[in-house]
Amino acid sequence: MAYRIQRLPSSTPLIAFAARVIAVVLALLVTALILAISGHDPIDLAGQVLSSSLLDSFGLQDLGVIFIPLMLTGLSVAVAQQIGAWNIGAEGQFYAGAFAATAIGLFIPAPDWLSLILMVIGGFAAGAIWILVPTLAKAYADVSELISTLLLNFVAALMVYYVATGPWHDRMTNSSTPKVGAEIPEFWGAIHWGFPIAIVFAIVLALVLSNTKWGYEVRLSGSNPSAAEYAGIPVRRHLIMVMLLSGAIAGFAGMLEVAGTVHRLQGGISNNYGYIGIMVAVLARGSLVGVIFAGAFMAFIQNSGIILQTQGLTTSAVLAMTGLILFLTAIGEELSYYRITRDKV
Amino acid sequence: MDLITGLLTTAFLAGGVLALAAIGEVLAERVGVVNLGVEGLMAMGAVTGIAAVSATHSPVLGFLAALAVGALFGAAFAFATVMIKANQVLCGLALTLMGTGLAQTIGRGYSGMPAAATFQPITIPLLSDIPVLGKAFFSQNILIYLIYLILPIGLSYLMFYTRHGMNMRAVGENPAAADAAGISVNTMRFCYVTAGAALAGGAGAYLTLAFVPSWSDGVIAGRGWIAVALVIFAGYRPGMAALSGLLFGLITALGFVGQARGWPIAPAFLSMLPYLGTLGFIIVPVIAWQKMRRAMAAPAALGEPYYRNVR
Repeated sequence: MAYRIQRLPSSTPLIAFAARVIAVVLALLVTALILAISGHDPIDLAGQVLSSSLLDSFGLQDLGVIFIPLMLTGLSVAVAQQIGAWNIGAEGQFYAGAFAATAIGLFIPAPDWLSLILMVIGGFAAGAIWILVPTLAKAYADVSELISTLLLNFVAALMVYYVATGPWHDRMTNSSTPKVGAEIPEFWGAIHWGFPIAIVFAIVLALVLSNTKWGYEVRLSGSNPSAAEYAGIPVRRHLIMVMLLSGAIAGFAGMLEVAGTVHRLQGGISNNYGYIGIMVAVLARGSLVGVIFAGAFMAFIQNSGIILQTQGLTTSAVLAMTGLILFLTAIGEELSYYRITRDKV
Repeated sequence: MDLITGLLTTAFLAGGVLALAAIGEVLAERVGVVNLGVEGLMAMGAVTGIAAVSATHSPVLGFLAALAVGALFGAAFAFATVMIKANQVLCGLALTLMGTGLAQTIGRGYSGMPAAATFQPITIPLLSDIPVLGKAFFSQNILIYLIYLILPIGLSYLMFYTRHGMNMRAVGENPAAADAAGISVNTMRFCYVTAGAALAGGAGAYLTLAFVPSWSDGVIAGRGWIAVALVIFAGYRPGMAALSGLLFGLITALGFVGQARGWPIAPAFLSMLPYLGTLGFIIVPVIAWQKMRRAMAAPAALGEPYYRNVR
């Protein structure tokens, strides 16, 4: 009997999930090892993280607050993936949405409920506008969206930093705008109503993509554009719509962050959420419902970083660990296509 | 006159970072691998440069250490993407996150301090007496000559005038044909991806040892991504990569001059120029120069893993 290693054209969800679990565990082990070498006690730290996030009501609320933007940026990236596009610019669209929401909240006098509705529309619109140029460039000139979406992140960050410290700055803080009037009411503790709205949003989108003709055409355009084109599906129109939707979702996340959590605009408000959103989408393997769980997991990782800051560790260490998880996940994803088979002689 | 000399001097100096990183990325992309980790590699190189110089007080050793660290991370990336054939986009993004996060963690102790020793300008006799160019180019630090002369000329010769260069390009265009012709696709890809990553690490050290020169968290500021974009603009040619680095150096220099002279534009908008400029430079050529498209096209197998036994 001989054993053979074979690469199959597809991988099963179960094995892909197992590969992700292994990747995450390995990344955590490597991090623990590095922590141990640098003189920390990883088991003690893990205990602290668990007790002050999952076993503590305030900890759970913090987790929920981080979950909302992460799940939505993850959803944004995952939606673009349905049609085979990489939205690396969720960070910038997040800023754009936050920017628009703040502008509406600060400068358009309206009752709170109307103001919130305008902010939602503004957030969606700003995110879509922020991805418009990369979208059109991809659809009409075949310019890779990878770099074009990313470059605009820096522009958005500079723009938000400029208005928050310049023309819109608050006389007291100088580093942020004044408080935005309209607030999304709280749902549980510090968690606002954006939490259930975001989850319902993801489920509705997942249903639309799996159960409508439009969703089917989008998925087909993503997996085999030339076949879709041949079948008479307007691939380009779908591509433009889906990418704009992806941008709009990230913009919505930025809007929720301003109206629900931070209540003002400040430089760095996006906290790398756009980049970690990529991680969320990859962990979810393009499944829009999976994004909810992957978002919760990444929220836990990010929150752990914040807890560990009191132990002299930085958020950048968590960023590095996120990168390591992504790296190992990518390797695990590829390896999940392989099977070891036994030849019968 | 003074303005032009000053602009060009800054342009050469500022563009060197982008040129070096872009040349490195040309190497990787020519053999068919997109490395989106340049930003992280540069961050690691930048902090390595600072750390090594504060230990040894030798900028040359700092630069070499950054090359080595770049190569080390590049080898890990190449192992994942070339040997295991994991998704290049994901591994590149992962490398950017890892490199940036790790560099910021290591760099905390060095933050804000000026580099212990830097690359000093060297005035080349005779050549430096040429008007404008003499001051702007022949009175610079030694890395400038490596970046704008030695690497572009040497690599262009290697890639376009030698058998090895033909093999290298074949691996990026049609790996199956190259494999059939007896070229080891994996070895070729592994080596050039690693070498390209080393140059990206070097570009980071150039930033902290010759240009800024100090470490801070946001010091790379998207330059790695701009370098990746420049490769497209440069049509995957080392010489053009160096020139486009210079062009972007010029844009940066304009921003500096604008700030120094108090142009009525907020510094934030001047800082946006390189990113918006890059976006313009990857979109406009595709629309404007339709005829050039084939000559400037990406290697045909760019981004695709090569499986010998599939089809």
